[in-house]
Amino acid sequence: MKDTQWPIYQVFHQEQPDRPHTNAGAVHAPDAELALQNARDVFVRRPDCVSLWVVPADQIFSLTAEEIERAGLPPTPAGNGDSQRYLVFLKRTQAGSHEHVGAVSASSGPAALGEAVRSFGTEEALVWWVVPEGLVERTDAAEVGSLFGPAKDKPYRDQAFYHTTTLMRQIRGRPRQET
Amino acid sequence: MKAELREALANYLTAIGDDELILAHRDSEWAGHAPILEEDIGFANLALDELGHASIWYRLAAELLDEDPDRHPDALVFTRPASEFRNVQMVELPNGDWAFSMLRQYLFDASEQVRLSALAASKHPELAQAAVKIRTEELYHIRHTSAWVRRLGLGTQQSNRKMQTALDLLYPRALQLFTEETGEAELASAGLVPRPDRLLASWASQVSEELIASELRLPDGNLSTPAGRNAHTSHLEPLVAELQQVARLEAEIAW
Repeated sequence: MKDTQWPIYQVFHQEQPDRPHTNAGAVHAPDAELALQNARDVFVRRPDCVSLWVVPADQIFSLTAEEIERAGLPPTPAGNGDSQRYLVFLKRTQAGSHEHVGAVSASSGPAALGEAVRSFGTEEALVWWVVPEGLVERTDAAEVGSLFGPAKDKPYRDQAFYHTTTLMRQIRGRPRQET
Repeated sequence: MKAELREALANYLTAIGDDELILAHRDSEWAGHAPILEEDIGFANLALDELGHASIWYRLAAELLDEDPDRHPDALVFTRPASEFRNVQMVELPNGDWAFSMLRQYLFDASEQVRLSALAASKHPELAQAAVKIRTEELYHIRHTSAWVRRLGLGTQQSNRKMQTALDLLYPRALQLFTEETGEAELASAGLVPRPDRLLASWASQVSEELIASELRLPDGNLSTPAGRNAHTSHLEPLVAELQQVARLEAEIAW
């Protein structure tokens, strides 16, 4: 069956200016601009956030520690292609999320993965992601106030805070007041 | 501030609070029904924001009337008869399709943007402060809704047609946001609120640019003068009845 859903974008959020961008999850969106809006609405209504990135999930090149163990690193290409910058993200633990660690230059996605493992080789990682830097849509620093500011001082209240169910039971248990 | 001005300003704030409350209620009816999950969450966020703004305006009105700012907003929302609400008709209309609801939200957000920018300079300091605070949130609203308006307008023949139908219905009704109510001229002269004709002019130029860029046609010809805010459609009464249903079960229970 044809998948009629919109494409998936991976979302990376930054909680403080000195912290790396970390994978928050994914959203569906018809384009990058709406992906940023959906990311804001779905992932940063409450927690602190100073910056959001979204990238098309199908443009992410991925490599796992198991694959490296089985087949070795992708070979370094001859170096005749035009190279571009790729952002590198590592997932270090099973329960952890992909975290931005830096960038490499390479002529293709697979080559960038090899470069990433060699450049950040001291890092123990389970999964490596690289994505062409040009495909990363970012929030504008000038918009931080309107995107992330308003939610900051709003308390999050669990449904149970309001005792609605208990009160409704009490009301229902009493005879109706006829007016 | 003179007593007449205080009362007129409280009425003004109650009216714009009613716009926010009733629109929030209509928007909230999309929860669980929006076209995709992400937008379901996004649109519900907009509804919550508008509800929060209503509460801010009602509290300011309470302070002007020397009413309890905690209890007065509840009284306005949960015990007032529908006939005493002062919201514009545009926000009480049933949701219709997604194009209608999104365009309504956009036209309203654009009106809020021009109104809040002017209210930020109000000579009533508490009002100016509230306007500055709400305006930050509205910047995101207009970004969200205008992005949708462009995509639906420029999307497919079907989405464009639905948007055009919605615009033909909504545009004349949106003008009601800028009618001059009793006492408003005095408030404007005192520098407390903006003059509605100025708001209308900047709103119209802002939205027409966006709508034309989205390949939508503005209604042509002379539009009839909109009704005042005490005139409602038959849709408001059932909405208010639903809104007050639970509160009316027990007048004085503490939620």
